[in-house]
Amino acid sequence: MLGNLNTRVMLEYLPDIWQGFLATLMLSAAGFAGAMIIGIVACALSIQPLRWLRGPAVVYVDAIRATPLLAQLYFLYFGLPRLGILVPEMVIGVIALSLNSGAYVAEIIRSGILSIPRGQVEAGKSTGMTYLQRMRLIILPQAIRPTVSPLIGQAIVLIKDSSLLSLISVVELTRAGQMIAIDRFMPIEGLVATALAYLVLYYLLKLLAGVWVYQNRLPGRA
Amino acid sequence: MIEFSSLNKWFGALHVLSDISLSVAKGEVVVVCGPSGSGKSTLIRCVNGLEPFQKGKLIVDGTELGGSEASLRDLRMEVGFVFQQFNLYPHKTALENVTLAPVHVRKLSKAAAEERGRALLEKVGLADKMENYPHQLSGGQQQRVAIARSLAMQPKIMLFDEPTSALDPEMINEVLDVMVSLANEGMTMMVVTHEMGFARKVADRVMFMDRGAIVEIAAPETFFTTPKNDRTRDFLSKVLQH
Ligand SMILES: Nc1ncnc2c1ncn2[C@@H]1O[C@H](COP(=O)(O)OP(=O)(O)OP(=O)(O)O)[C@@H](O)[C@H]1O
Ligand SMILES: [Mg+2]
Repeated sequence: MLGNLNTRVMLEYLPDIWQGFLATLMLSAAGFAGAMIIGIVACALSIQPLRWLRGPAVVYVDAIRATPLLAQLYFLYFGLPRLGILVPEMVIGVIALSLNSGAYVAEIIRSGILSIPRGQVEAGKSTGMTYLQRMRLIILPQAIRPTVSPLIGQAIVLIKDSSLLSLISVVELTRAGQMIAIDRFMPIEGLVATALAYLVLYYLLKLLAGVWVYQNRLPGRA
Repeated sequence: MIEFSSLNKWFGALHVLSDISLSVAKGEVVVVCGPSGSGKSTLIRCVNGLEPFQKGKLIVDGTELGGSEASLRDLRMEVGFVFQQFNLYPHKTALENVTLAPVHVRKLSKAAAEERGRALLEKVGLADKMENYPHQLSGGQQQRVAIARSLAMQPKIMLFDEPTSALDPEMINEVLDVMVSLANEGMTMMVVTHEMGFARKVADRVMFMDRGAIVEIAAPETFFTTPKNDRTRDFLSKVLQH
């Protein structure tokens, strides 16, 4: 099936694939940045003791994790205009990606924080540190390490999820691949070209994760 | 300095501390012993507010526990706590472990905190380990860093919860020596330990707890030679065998 792949057509559409690649990269970067902000806030709310602040954060995380991204995307796509909020599809797409991944990011950070032994908190408490000092000086610096790999994993999921934005006619990688299918009726060529581009993104992130882990080895450990 | 009046604590239905009344004077060293689960840790954890209690009164260094979060923090600056499992910060060097709270809580300058930290680490015999991370230190060395970390806040009271029971036998003495010299300097101390040699040497009073209550408390000579209670005698015969 792949033996008689029409590479000439694939090369001909290279500029379109490249544009789609850049668009996916930008959408994902923006989406992930938003997800980090939302995730950190939701996590902070969900681990602090005040119930009326914790409630909304827990509901948000549960609601996102319980429903499909496609439903969330359409909900915003049709729902926002009803509220009189008229923004480009691309912006709706980024909001959907941020809201969706934000819930997972919140859970990843939360489990990183919960993985720090209770004794660390008690050591900080017993020297008179405030909650924020314990978080900043003791817990968070230790919680970053176990969260980096799962966060990069979530970024990879987000990149793949961004293909759904093609359904609300945002032009990105998947959409660019579909063009080859539609214009030339060569669906396999389009799919292979996009798959290769996603693979490049995947390895870029994997490399990034490797570099971070290497540069942040525990001091004094090989 | 530490004043328990009819203090009671429950974990759910479990009555962990029942009617504790005890007064520890300034400069006094009280050793607490008793079987596992008798409430020793819970008792000293109440003193710096790591455990809340439900009934009775506890006054430490003039502050009544159970007040505001801020008054609790002020109190904790004056009360050092040494844990069985050391609880050193693994991402900080020995010196950073010791200077962290003085800089951020006492608001000492970094230079002043380091000077104090170096002096303390020297005092506990770790002059050559200041830049080591906890995982590069032996258990005994880690526990000495932990003691120095507490002392760096210049507390008025030091609490120890089985500071040597996670250590290999050959490291126990290096930690006890530090505690002995601290006691001789006049520090007010409550020490949960089964090191009866230490109790004999420096304790002003030794206390035996069982099932959340103080069974017997006496000066070491009396406590070890003529214990009044059967349970104390039974316990002593077990711990003094080895
Ligand atoms: N957080 C907790 N929740 C419920 N029960 C607890 C908790 N902490 C301790 N307990 C119970 O309270 C009792 C007293 O515990 P504590 O740790 O004070 O005993 P201990 O005398 O220090 O024992 P050990 O010598 O084993 O350290 C035990 O029965 C223990 O199981
Ligand atoms: Mg204990």
